[in-house]
Amino acid sequence: MSDDAVEILLVEDSPDDVAFFVRTFNKTNLAARLNVVADGKEALEFVFCTGSHSARNLANLPKVIFLDMKMPKVGGLEVLRRLKADPFTRTIPIVALSSSNEERDLIESYRHGVNSYIVKPMDFDQFAETVRMIGQYWLQFNKTPKL
Amino acid sequence: MARDITERKLAEEKIRQLNAELEQRVVERTAELEAFSYSISHDLRAPLRAMGGFARMLQEDYAAQFPPEACRQLERIHENAMKMGLLIDGLLAFSRLSRQPLNKRTVSPAKIANRVLEELQGELEGRHVTVTIGDLPAGEADPTLLHQVFVNLLSNALKYSRRRDPAVIEVGAREENGRCIYFIKDNGAGFEMEYAHNLFGVFQRLHRADQFEGTGVGLAIVQRIIRRHGGRVWAEAEPDKGATFYFTLEGENTHV
Repeated sequence: MSDDAVEILLVEDSPDDVAFFVRTFNKTNLAARLNVVADGKEALEFVFCTGSHSARNLANLPKVIFLDMKMPKVGGLEVLRRLKADPFTRTIPIVALSSSNEERDLIESYRHGVNSYIVKPMDFDQFAETVRMIGQYWLQFNKTPKL
Repeated sequence: MARDITERKLAEEKIRQLNAELEQRVVERTAELEAFSYSISHDLRAPLRAMGGFARMLQEDYAAQFPPEACRQLERIHENAMKMGLLIDGLLAFSRLSRQPLNKRTVSPAKIANRVLEELQGELEGRHVTVTIGDLPAGEADPTLLHQVFVNLLSNALKYSRRRDPAVIEVGAREENGRCIYFIKDNGAGFEMEYAHNLFGVFQRLHRADQFEGTGVGLAIVQRIIRRHGGRVWAEAEPDKGATFYFTLEGENTHV
């Protein structure tokens, strides 16, 4: 495992959505290592290199985090709140992936500092196109500060 | 005499209390129902996306190995998943309406109708359509919700008149018993009046999906909005001649 690989993190509890995301992402040829965790607790462990991810290099922060908002136990909002409250992780772009198009869910997410909010399209082709676009945008076009 | 007044006051107080409790219970029940429809709508989406998605993946990966009939059936699975997605969207839009507060003020329905027509320009492309928006009296309404009423009624008028050349749509108003009745009239497919009672129910449709697409939520939304304003909505139509939708914004109760 080369430690300077560009890491991106997908936090998603639905194995189906993971399958769609990974399938599409792998077809994009974006030079990044896609890590998948299934809940908010493990997402925090990954970023802060604790628990099952204690062997990871803390300095290698994910370049972007794709975060499902609706997860059991530690939900998306909680992950968002924790990462945005910590000066060390505050600058990591977080893209919310949600089934909800409700105004109140958007407001809550932006209040907690989300950098982008994407409603998962119902249609698989659109879903794939969305993953391609946000992958390209956050990995190729968007600039983030180096710590 | 003094005791009578005290008793009456106590009775009045009791009634006020009962009313307040009842009101509180209605608020609670409504909130429960809203939370319920919100949550089923969102929880239903995920498996639906999965069903459509895996059907699509099978098509992408194995189309060459499958007999053509199998590919067609996969397409039907995908289409139906998408259709159910639209139904859920409609249900959500409908339930969202009840949570939205009603902000009534004096509005110009003609201005709103004109703006909606501009938004619907895309649907006029390649068609001959004459739309007249008459002199509509101002009314007391929530501008956002009234906008939604015109979006739904005008896009219906455009949809059901799309086989007419030219399609003729008229937005107007008339006064009856001192109250303003707005109407939207088209020369489209119309419908049989004996089914008119189904028109405003959620998911109720009077046309086959292969003739006119739709989810059957638009008019349910219109009725919900109009009722919240204290008004009434109804329709008159004849098959192949067209349909006219009427609505009032208030004052219906005083005239019944």
